[in-house]
Amino acid sequence: MTQARGSILLLLPSGGLFLGLFFLPMAGLFVESFRLYVPGNIGSSANAPFTIANYQELLTPSFAGFLFETLRISLLASLAGLLLSFPLAYWIVRKVSPRWRAIAVGLFVTLMFLSVLVRTYALELSFGAAGPFRPLLLSLGVSTNGRGYIETLVGAGLLHYIIPVATLTLLGTIQNVDPRLIDAAQALGAPGWRAHLGITLPLCMRGILAAFLFAFTFSISAFVIPMILGKGRVLFISNLIYNRFSEIADYPSGAAISIVLFFVALSIVYLTSAQVTKRWGA
Amino acid sequence: MSGRLIDDAMWLAGLILIGTILCFLLTPIAVTVVMAFDSRAYLGPLPPPSLSLRWFQQFFSDDYFLRGLSTSLKLATLAVAISTAVGLATAFVVERAEFAGKQLLISLFLSPLLVPPVVTGFALLLFLSHLGLINGFARLLCGHIIITVPYTIRATLTGLGGIDRALTEAALSLGANEQAAFWDITLPLARTSIISGAIFAFAVSMDDVAVSIMLTDATTYTLPVALISSMRANFDLSIAAASVMLMLVTLGLIVALEKSVGLNKAIGQGVFRS
Amino acid sequence: MTAMQDPAEPVVVFRNVSKRFGSTAAVDAMSFTVAAGETLSLLGPSGCGKTTTLRLVAGFEQPDAGTIEIAGQAMTGRRPYERNVGLLFQHYALFPHMTVAENIGYGLKHRRWPKAEVGDRIAEMLRLVRLEGFDARKPNQLSGGQQQRVALARVLATKPKLVLLDEPLSALDAKLREELGLELKQILSTVGSTTIVVTHDQDEAMSLADRIIVMNRGRIEQLGTPGEIYAQPRTEFVASFIGRTNWFSGSGGTRLVNGVCRLMTDNGTALNVKTIDIPPAGGWRVCVRPERIAIMPPHTATTDPDVNVLTGEVVSIVNMGAQLHFVCRTSEGRITIIQPNRQGSHSKTGEAVSLQFGADDCVLLAPDAQ
Repeated sequence: MTQARGSILLLLPSGGLFLGLFFLPMAGLFVESFRLYVPGNIGSSANAPFTIANYQELLTPSFAGFLFETLRISLLASLAGLLLSFPLAYWIVRKVSPRWRAIAVGLFVTLMFLSVLVRTYALELSFGAAGPFRPLLLSLGVSTNGRGYIETLVGAGLLHYIIPVATLTLLGTIQNVDPRLIDAAQALGAPGWRAHLGITLPLCMRGILAAFLFAFTFSISAFVIPMILGKGRVLFISNLIYNRFSEIADYPSGAAISIVLFFVALSIVYLTSAQVTKRWGA
Repeated sequence: MSGRLIDDAMWLAGLILIGTILCFLLTPIAVTVVMAFDSRAYLGPLPPPSLSLRWFQQFFSDDYFLRGLSTSLKLATLAVAISTAVGLATAFVVERAEFAGKQLLISLFLSPLLVPPVVTGFALLLFLSHLGLINGFARLLCGHIIITVPYTIRATLTGLGGIDRALTEAALSLGANEQAAFWDITLPLARTSIISGAIFAFAVSMDDVAVSIMLTDATTYTLPVALISSMRANFDLSIAAASVMLMLVTLGLIVALEKSVGLNKAIGQGVFRS
Repeated sequence: MTAMQDPAEPVVVFRNVSKRFGSTAAVDAMSFTVAAGETLSLLGPSGCGKTTTLRLVAGFEQPDAGTIEIAGQAMTGRRPYERNVGLLFQHYALFPHMTVAENIGYGLKHRRWPKAEVGDRIAEMLRLVRLEGFDARKPNQLSGGQQQRVALARVLATKPKLVLLDEPLSALDAKLREELGLELKQILSTVGSTTIVVTHDQDEAMSLADRIIVMNRGRIEQLGTPGEIYAQPRTEFVASFIGRTNWFSGSGGTRLVNGVCRLMTDNGTALNVKTIDIPPAGGWRVCVRPERIAIMPPHTATTDPDVNVLTGEVVSIVNMGAQLHFVCRTSEGRITIIQPNRQGSHSKTGEAVSLQFGADDCVLLAPDAQ
């Protein structure tokens, strides 16, 4: 039938695009991660033998440390982001006039579109070692060069993107919950906070988890934010990959770390999606 | 404590929380804007003693940044044009089709969104080097296309999905064949989603660092890459001026989005859905 | 307006058409014809296959077996735009980004109507549906009733051989339904069109159609005029689906003279039923319409031996304005009686009554296979 043939014709450009710019390169990366790297070269040589040394190298405590740090900061930032975004989204949906709601939406969309460089630079400028808040922080006993502070700053950088996006996502979720359900609960005797805990929250679970998932995968893949705000002391996996590539030209190792990061991200998405489907239906 | 007291306490806590969040989000931006007009030649404490445009002048006279800006704009325009066309073709076919693996196919097309950009860039670099493609601009274009296409596909799919099937069938029953129905009915009604997808893709391309930094070479680089190198080398206020310029670009995109689509509609159409 | 068709030739011929979706047969070996100028209704509950039948006629589905002919031409393999069939969608499917005039003109454009005549034809259609002056409006500026009229104008503009209506009145509220139903019927007869109406609402079917096909599970249960379907249902399903019914069940019975059978219900009541059929061996059902039963004071005698008498007690009375609905408790269970509300005196709740109905008020049916 010509309709089927026309369809295949239309799919050819994108099929070719995805094959050539994504699937084949990823396959190539996978292969590269198994090749032997001789220090001093750029990448592996053409006929380098296959080895699992690149992966064995990652079983060391130092790499595990990087992975753990990435996951830890990402998890904290994502949780904090959701905890802060939900009340914010709820407030915008329920407690604000339509005109202000539109302004709030505009503000968050703008914040979302804002360049990541602008964000990180702005945070570094304001809260960094040379920033205007330094005297205030010193008086509180916080050193801007302390490891804890730098980790928090990286987390703040992540939050600066997570909060607008999560809030916008949750706006839709909360709008789908009928406010009359809370009225009904209160008419039956439940105080506001219990009604929300028992009704609003469970009904929003799917949206909350979707927002959390997005925040988490975004965070573990973050590159610019830890690069600028981490000051070389807090390194995310993406930074590690870049260092392998730019400083040492050890492509096989960089490839191996990339594949590990890819599978970690993928596993998180599928495990969480499976959990969501199991507990709250498709 | 009585339920009512908790309610009131939580209401107050909520208000404080929201105030804090908004401060957190907006203060750094405000600080940057103020400092961009600082007349001092060094990074001093707030507030600036006097204002000047020196940093903007420095930004606009710096060849390094301007070349980056020009490359970024060219890449974004080309990548978005290609991605929108490809996204439209793909979404149109997939949306209409009914077969077992449809969801899987859609996930496949959206899969680049799951991969950390550094990994995408790295894989592309290795592959294109193997193929012998060394032109910097071409390599960057490849990278920018693959990171923007999932967004255009997703936005277009959502837009097409929102069109009542009965409208297409009505057109068919009135004598239009499938192509005519597409041009007369489907395309005009999906227009807003396609446009918001394109605007979003433009922002993604202009903002990208991780993929670009892997594919860049000495002569071809994007503005964000130039800014990052500058930030690591010399953290001065010319970058603040650059930031303000980028904020204006963002505002421009938002205005374009609002004028053509309407912000509330854009959100409702799932452009931002993860 | 001239009639669309040579009166002798049927406009639609369905021969043994079947359509399966997966393992279920949505349409199962259906055969029927539609004569020129007539309005036929496909009536049935959801899932009975009426919508599938409509889509087969329109060309959105192809039959797995059987043939479909429209105006004497076989439609096998023909796409919807290769048939001159007008389809009025349930929710109108007006193009939201086009004006009323552009909507109406869409079919004219694609069926290659001469450009010079398009404007006049659109104006003519607007006059027909009484929407002159609305040509520049957009669908979202119209009320539900107005949208329906534009949809109708759009369908009729290209002089289709056949007009298909999918639940045309279901999206309207009760008052509008009546008004627009009449208008619809008037317009369709003015134009002389051949029409198939698909609906689950029997009032819609009865008011719009010349003939009705009652469908169930992909098959034709009965084909007839509204009067025939109501007064002479041929299956239990049709009797239940159309209007209200009182049921009696039992098995066995004897034939008497003058075409009357004497049947014994399971509860021991004797029923006189006028019928030429033999009571089915395995059991029978008798249907009596509520308006055929008369409520009399108790112990009212009757001289006619064929009249059926039941004693009972009034359990509830509902005043529906134009009618009174009585429910009485009898030895045969609850019986419903409907009377015109003549605002006079009538039996009250709790009173004993005598319910009487004639042998020809009963319809003898075989029980449906389960």
